[in-house]
Amino acid sequence: MKRPASYALALALTCALIPAAVVLPGLAATTKGPAAGKTVKIGVIADVTGSAAVYGLQQKDAYELANDDLKSGLLDAGGANLTFDVEDSASDGNQVANLFQKFTTDGSAMIVGPTLSGEARKGDPIAVLAKTAVVGTSTTADGITSIGPCVYRVSLAEAQVVPATVARTKAVWKYKTAAIIFGDDNAFTKTDGDIFKTQLEKAGVTIVDTETFHVGDKDFAASLTKIKAAKPDVIVLGALAEEAEKIIQQAATLGIKTHMMGGNGLNSTKIYDYAGPAAAGVVVGAAWSINGNYTGNTSFVQRFKKKYGVEPDQFGAQAYAAAQLSAQLVKDGKASKDEMCAALRDLRVAQTVLGPIAFDPGRDVKAAPVILQIEKGGFAYFH
Amino acid sequence: MTVLAEFYAAHSKLIDQVGLDALLALSLSISLQAGQLALAQAAFMGVAAYISAILALNAHWSLLPAMLVAALCSTIVAGLLALPVRRLRGIFLAIATIAFGEIVRIVANNLQISGGAEGLSGIPPDATTPWIYGTLILVAIGLWLFSRTKFALAIALVREDENAARSVGVDVGFVRFTTLAMGGAIAGLAGALYAHSNFFITPADFGFGRMEQILVWCVIGGITSPLGAAIGAALLTILPEAIRFLADYRDFVNGAILLVVVLFAPRGLAGIRLWRRG
Amino acid sequence: MVAQQLVNGLFLGAVYALFAIGYTLVFGVLDILNLAHAAIFMLAAFAAWSMIGAGLPLAVAAPLAIAGAGLLGIVLDRIAFAPLRRRGAPSLIALISSIGMAIIFGAIARGIYGPDERRFTLGFLQAPPLHAGPLTFTIVQLVILANAIVFMLGLAWVMRSTALGRGIRAVAEDRVAAALLGIDLERTIAATFFIASALGGVAGILTALQYNSVQVDMGGQIELKGLAVIVLGGMGSITGAVIGGFVIGMVETLAVVFGLSEWRDAISYGVMFLILILRPTGLFGKRALRTA
Repeated sequence: MKRPASYALALALTCALIPAAVVLPGLAATTKGPAAGKTVKIGVIADVTGSAAVYGLQQKDAYELANDDLKSGLLDAGGANLTFDVEDSASDGNQVANLFQKFTTDGSAMIVGPTLSGEARKGDPIAVLAKTAVVGTSTTADGITSIGPCVYRVSLAEAQVVPATVARTKAVWKYKTAAIIFGDDNAFTKTDGDIFKTQLEKAGVTIVDTETFHVGDKDFAASLTKIKAAKPDVIVLGALAEEAEKIIQQAATLGIKTHMMGGNGLNSTKIYDYAGPAAAGVVVGAAWSINGNYTGNTSFVQRFKKKYGVEPDQFGAQAYAAAQLSAQLVKDGKASKDEMCAALRDLRVAQTVLGPIAFDPGRDVKAAPVILQIEKGGFAYFH
Repeated sequence: MTVLAEFYAAHSKLIDQVGLDALLALSLSISLQAGQLALAQAAFMGVAAYISAILALNAHWSLLPAMLVAALCSTIVAGLLALPVRRLRGIFLAIATIAFGEIVRIVANNLQISGGAEGLSGIPPDATTPWIYGTLILVAIGLWLFSRTKFALAIALVREDENAARSVGVDVGFVRFTTLAMGGAIAGLAGALYAHSNFFITPADFGFGRMEQILVWCVIGGITSPLGAAIGAALLTILPEAIRFLADYRDFVNGAILLVVVLFAPRGLAGIRLWRRG
Repeated sequence: MVAQQLVNGLFLGAVYALFAIGYTLVFGVLDILNLAHAAIFMLAAFAAWSMIGAGLPLAVAAPLAIAGAGLLGIVLDRIAFAPLRRRGAPSLIALISSIGMAIIFGAIARGIYGPDERRFTLGFLQAPPLHAGPLTFTIVQLVILANAIVFMLGLAWVMRSTALGRGIRAVAEDRVAAALLGIDLERTIAATFFIASALGGVAGILTALQYNSVQVDMGGQIELKGLAVIVLGGMGSITGAVIGGFVIGMVETLAVVFGLSEWRDAISYGVMFLILILRPTGLFGKRALRTA
């Protein structure tokens, strides 16, 4: 019987071609751009140790992976010798300043980082004075990009994401009252809380209770008991992952079954790893989805997990996106400090694991927020 | 000369940090010389930093007047603190002043005018190296001249044996008050300079972590020696940059150095009785 | 809601109380504020977590980790405090020394475990919450509460009725006299550190279970709160540490109830400050405070 055999052969050939189709383009991707042969170094400032290490370590890992990918050709820098020089700012303002100074005087073409908005406020002005471009990957507070004409940002600000989160959830959940719980001693969580409050009120929602906590708090029973008594239609979290996961679980323990939503800080697998079934249904307004099928995202997630044993979170993804952006700029021939600022301004679009990104006139990233919902131990798109 | 200029261009931030930290160490060392474990320098620094930043941002004051007013405020705060804690000694004084410092930090975190958790940004960088080192040198000279006065003798006597001091007519309360206020003034100058050289301040800059740092500098350098305190500050400020090649081991090395100095270098630490049996 | 809040405050306080017992013991006996206590608290939690992760049951892992914490306390004393004692150095130096050890312990933990938070949970402890009328709480919370009370009573009994306890109290009262009376100082001090650090280990493991999390930073917040607790309770008093823990836990919870949660910590520190000004011996401290 020839037919089954030939079908089997066709099937076998197709199966052999699929991995080749995935791998070969990567291998063949290195081209020769105008900057071929030049050595380009980009300085990375990340809090690998210290209080912000949970974020900075992801960032360092992403850039180290990018360095590997540059060597193997998975990331194409047009033949130029591009490396990311990752330095630890140890969550210490002084070290942030020193590293900014180092990278503005040692021939680095550009600076990527720092990890926290507060650090950006301390360090970006140094780069501005030295006319070095800075690309932030995790700074989401207001007023960062207005620090100077070469300060860019690939991280979607809360101000850009929250309106979409509110609009989409209100359309589906149709809530009239809300309670907000946010961290009042951290610039990100506080901004998050404030922006949610403004957006909710704009949408005609009444805030029935506002609670605050401090970063590092573990026990939210008191605040949640109060929120429960106020009977809101939705609970809003202005928090980072460590606190958010506990709030979600402790809410479930107290028998709170209200809808919950939050911002970028909740975009981490830790939330459902920790809170388990309690996290089902939580909506997260984010800038990236681990399941998104943007340029190289799936393979990025796989390679990251293979190299480090953990999945990347949004911090890691945004860092890798900056690496992709940098590679693209270098491939286009921008190799020196003076060229980078204009190159960023003139960038039409960069294909990254966050999706296609571009910059608006305010130097913030133009990208669509991703509204996710946690279900069955993973993130799905909210509908 | 260009080698120097190049070195400065690449390290001016670090050089400024050394100067500021030396000032902070000096401010604590005065209290320690009187045997007072008053650990509120970070709070005094914070008060002054915020006041000078607010004056610069909202009222466009230039550095010198802002700095002086800020330091005056921190001195007043220090003086006010001296009153309730006048009967405390040793570790109890330390804890009370730490509590005070935390309260100040939380107040800064919760007020609108200090920008809350988001802090104050865009502070004009007027405190350049000449300003920082100029202040440091003036303060150092001032302290050196001060050390030759009779009052300085009284301070040393209070540290060595408070009861003996009282019996020869030293007003111990006044000595403690003055040293705390002086510490507040110097920390205030450092705070204003800090705000004007860092572009941005946030309440977390002035909390227990900073206070711990300042204390460690003084202990490493030598508690009764202002020069030692300043040197301790300089060394420990430069250290993280100097051992950057150690990457993730820097923290461990920090702790180890602290331990080694404390255990094996009693010079400056021995013979100082900051703690008395009642 | 009020009843639930009172219960919340009680359970929060129990966590603080358990931590503070070991903290206050070392201070009471040796006048040392051991800032490495929180690091041992954290290391014990990680040790238990690792062992459970390797397949050991809680009933084996917990005692091992607690004993390990006790031994670590002795090591801490040998390295960081004993040499200073021999030199007669003031307690400020011991404080600095403890800071150095805390940094080292933290660096080691971070080197092994990384900065990320890890889940710490056990099947049976994830049982659904219990209900008693309008109140909701978990098994772990009850266990912590029980532990705090049991250890307080147990330690009080040890102090009063055993030779070791009497020796510890003698050393706390007057080290020189105790030595003259034939008490082996170094052994008694080692025992003190063992007990205190083991208790810190208990606190660490239970706190980790209560909040399902171990992380290198987990001791930071509780360390400062613990300070407020032992000041309020009276430095050196075990009963004071426990009562103080409950009071601080209740104060924090009530701060939230009255809408003052941004000021929650400031209120705890304010209480601490006022106690030191007005009644430095705290609620139960027996030691006469040195005053002018």
